Amino acid sequence: MAKTVLAVHDLKTQFFTREGVVKAVDGVSFELDAGETLGIVGESGSGKSVTALSIMRLVPRPGRIVNGYVKLKDQDLTKLTEAEMQEVRGESIAMIFQDPMTSLNPVFRVGWQVAEPLVVHAEKKRPSALRDGVAMLKKVGIPNPDQRAKDFPHQFSGGMRQRAMIAMGLTTMPSVLIADEPTTALDVTIQAQILELLRDVNREFGTATILITHNLGVVAGMCQRVLVMYAGRIVESGPTEDVFAHPQHPYTWSLLKSIPRLDADRHEPLRPISGIPPDLLDVPPGCAFHPRCTFRVDRCSRDVPQLQRVGETQLAACWVTQAGTNLNA
Amino acid sequence: MLAKYLVRRVLATIPVVIGVTLITFLVMHVTAGSYIPGVDLNPALKPEDIEAIKRYLGLDRPLYIQYLTWLGGIVHGDFGRSMIDGSLVSRHIFDRLPATLELTTTAILLGVLISIPLGVTGALRRGSKIDYALTAMSVGGFAIPAFWLGLMLILLFSVQFQAWGLPFLPSGGVMTPGTQGGDLLDRLVHLLLPATVLSFVYLSIWSRFTRSSMLEVLSQDYVRTARAKGMSERRVVYLHALRNAVIPLVTLVGLELPALVSGGLVVEVVFSWPGIGKLLYERAIQTDYTTVLGITTFAALLVVLGNLLADILYAVLDPRIRYA
Amino acid sequence: MISPIPLEGEVAVEPVERGRPGKSYWQESWERLRLNRLGIAAGLVLVFFILVAITSPILAALFTHTDYRTIDLANTFARPLSAGHILGTDDLGRDELTRLLFGAQVSMGIGFLSVFVALTVGATVGLVAGFYGGLIDGLLMRFVDMILAIPAIFLFILMALLFKPNAITLALIIASVGWGSIARLVRGEVLSVRTRDFMVATKALGASDLRLIGRHLLPNVLHVLIVYGSLYLGQVILIEAALDFLGLGITPPTPSWGNMLTNSETFFFHSSWLVVWPGITIFLSVLAANLFGNALRDAFDPRLR
Repeated sequence: MAKTVLAVHDLKTQFFTREGVVKAVDGVSFELDAGETLGIVGESGSGKSVTALSIMRLVPRPGRIVNGYVKLKDQDLTKLTEAEMQEVRGESIAMIFQDPMTSLNPVFRVGWQVAEPLVVHAEKKRPSALRDGVAMLKKVGIPNPDQRAKDFPHQFSGGMRQRAMIAMGLTTMPSVLIADEPTTALDVTIQAQILELLRDVNREFGTATILITHNLGVVAGMCQRVLVMYAGRIVESGPTEDVFAHPQHPYTWSLLKSIPRLDADRHEPLRPISGIPPDLLDVPPGCAFHPRCTFRVDRCSRDVPQLQRVGETQLAACWVTQAGTNLNA
Repeated sequence: MLAKYLVRRVLATIPVVIGVTLITFLVMHVTAGSYIPGVDLNPALKPEDIEAIKRYLGLDRPLYIQYLTWLGGIVHGDFGRSMIDGSLVSRHIFDRLPATLELTTTAILLGVLISIPLGVTGALRRGSKIDYALTAMSVGGFAIPAFWLGLMLILLFSVQFQAWGLPFLPSGGVMTPGTQGGDLLDRLVHLLLPATVLSFVYLSIWSRFTRSSMLEVLSQDYVRTARAKGMSERRVVYLHALRNAVIPLVTLVGLELPALVSGGLVVEVVFSWPGIGKLLYERAIQTDYTTVLGITTFAALLVVLGNLLADILYAVLDPRIRYA
Repeated sequence: MISPIPLEGEVAVEPVERGRPGKSYWQESWERLRLNRLGIAAGLVLVFFILVAITSPILAALFTHTDYRTIDLANTFARPLSAGHILGTDDLGRDELTRLLFGAQVSMGIGFLSVFVALTVGATVGLVAGFYGGLIDGLLMRFVDMILAIPAIFLFILMALLFKPNAITLALIIASVGWGSIARLVRGEVLSVRTRDFMVATKALGASDLRLIGRHLLPNVLHVLIVYGSLYLGQVILIEAALDFLGLGITPPTPSWGNMLTNSETFFFHSSWLVVWPGITIFLSVLAANLFGNALRDAFDPRLR
């Protein structure tokens, strides 16, 4: 059994807006083992990004963590003071974001931005931090890093910027790297390169990685385990292979049906998920997915299903599969 | 790349310089013609004397020659002569410039130094009581006539304080009459009221501007990145965000650089501050057209120069332009 | 004095809809404006000053029973609330309140005339420059650059000196600089509207240039003009008062809020209220115009809040 580096338990993050309370994350629990890559999949608004921001304690106002804990090794992050939390951010947990075009500060040189965590967290002197930054830029595959470190972000291409973002996260050798849709804003060919880089990083530094994406293909290629989120809750989790082979939640099932697959056994028609994503201000009662679900039973609109073991390795929050129905038959 | 941008930017100002000098020149000639104040009132002057005066002032030559002479003079720092006493306008300007610069630089510096923290505070505490108070102050400050604010401050700190037997501030001038201006404290005491009035206007605008600029920057992704890197809130706000937020402010302040000369006119008059603005006002009252024209042209050229400097400063501060 | 352009960047408003703002756009904006209590209050204060300006002779006849020219040398510097003079009298024994009432005529009259002229000229130049682009645009905008490069207050003084202004010429003098920034603003707005689909489509249908500008572009920039007009009114009142104060605008015996302060240092010591009143009326009217302008801007474009 691998060592757990990050444990999230019953995390609830809510946004207190004028129109009402948005339960963006509603009781999420999971563990991240050392060196593993965990995928979190879901539509926009499913709570995957807010989960990441909650771990970092960077939830923007009017959002607040209202319940649960986040343990990094033995430290409960939700109990730390802001100053202590700053030590964790960028030093133990690093995060990279969706849009590399806007995530780097336009007025500072890239090398300086990459080296900044070292100056602040490791209290290195500027020249030596800059040297380490250049070395890290080289490791993430930026050619001619000595020169490029002196460039400003707008002189970098999108892919290069995302490499720089990754380098910036890695300088302090964090034990956890959270990548929030790291490839969504990039060209397809660049996407593959960045994913390759993340895989290398995971292998070389042993950094446990949380990869947040809406792209199932990315998860399949990258992650040992996957969490599927819907309306702020985890609806299914398990080893990627098993979840993909025999999903135990109708939402996962429909997601998999909605993407074209080259390795499909027969000519199955593509099935888009019917209906619209739920309004988080007015989540349907019972299972939030039931209005769009083709397998629903009466109970689904009454009681909220909890995440329970279904099958050998998977957990699912679904009354139908928990009752033993096989979605894949 | 920066050099090329600079050259292009400098070249672009040449037509503006020509246009501005042409406008001031034409305003003068179309409206005032070759009228020389006082000449027709002097019965001792014979028509040939008047002709001689006109010749002396170059008013008998064709218009375009007059303009070119005018422009040529300007290039050499000559802004013409007074119609009243024939003195060099440029000499007057350089006599009065130091006092004006003393006042306006102080006001602009005060404005920048105070408005940035006020704007940042407003942005960070958006929607709080402090934010509302700052907003109210700014909106109010923008509606107060500067000359009236000056009068009110004189009324309170000079007149009433004196009446109450308190230490009071001088109501005008750069220094106590009779002194040589060597006493720095005395100069500062004289500077206090006019500089406050002048900076108040800047404060109203710039603090609002800093606030909205800061609000916009704080919502940017790179600010989130800085937070995710574990930077302290102070470092996030005052290094990562502020560095971006002041870039547009620099342009705004740069646009006020010409106000280094013209901005204080009303305040200079109220506080009897012997600067360029007061000079222009005095000469205007005496209907000394050529001096007013010369000063106006000088100030207009400074505006052009100020805009140029603001653009250059912007390019230096914003790498996206510098390396475009 | 700073440039007469209040916070240029904040004035740029864009209609929420993509096409030509329809009736509902103006209705929605009105609904939003109605809910803005501060904005409505500011608007009412503005209306109050306009009414005072229009009815000042009547008000004077009814309440102060005196004319602004009536000199009473036996009763100079009467204190406020003294017999027959609610706000006191000035150095020539004239009733201060009466003079303030008539002063509103100057401020409001010149204010609105100047705003009207500047908006008309500025909008026309901006529309033409933005619509035709190219050389016309280049020439017009360079001309605007030059006008705006000359420090406004110096130019006002220069022109005031040359024209010996009455109320109308003074309004024109002030407008002769103000139209420049309006033209810039409108041109920018036109450039963003011009490329939208409905403009291209209308052009393809063979509409004349005049029709395109008048029927399709103008309605799209109208809200910018309304907002800017209100903000500019405040600026004109300030500029006009300053020129009067300097003795280069409206001169006595016609009372204006600015020239009532002209020689105030002579009576500072014993009659400070004479310095206070005109300043308050200037401040209130400018504040009302600015706040109303801000409220209009918020009503037209709620996203800017």
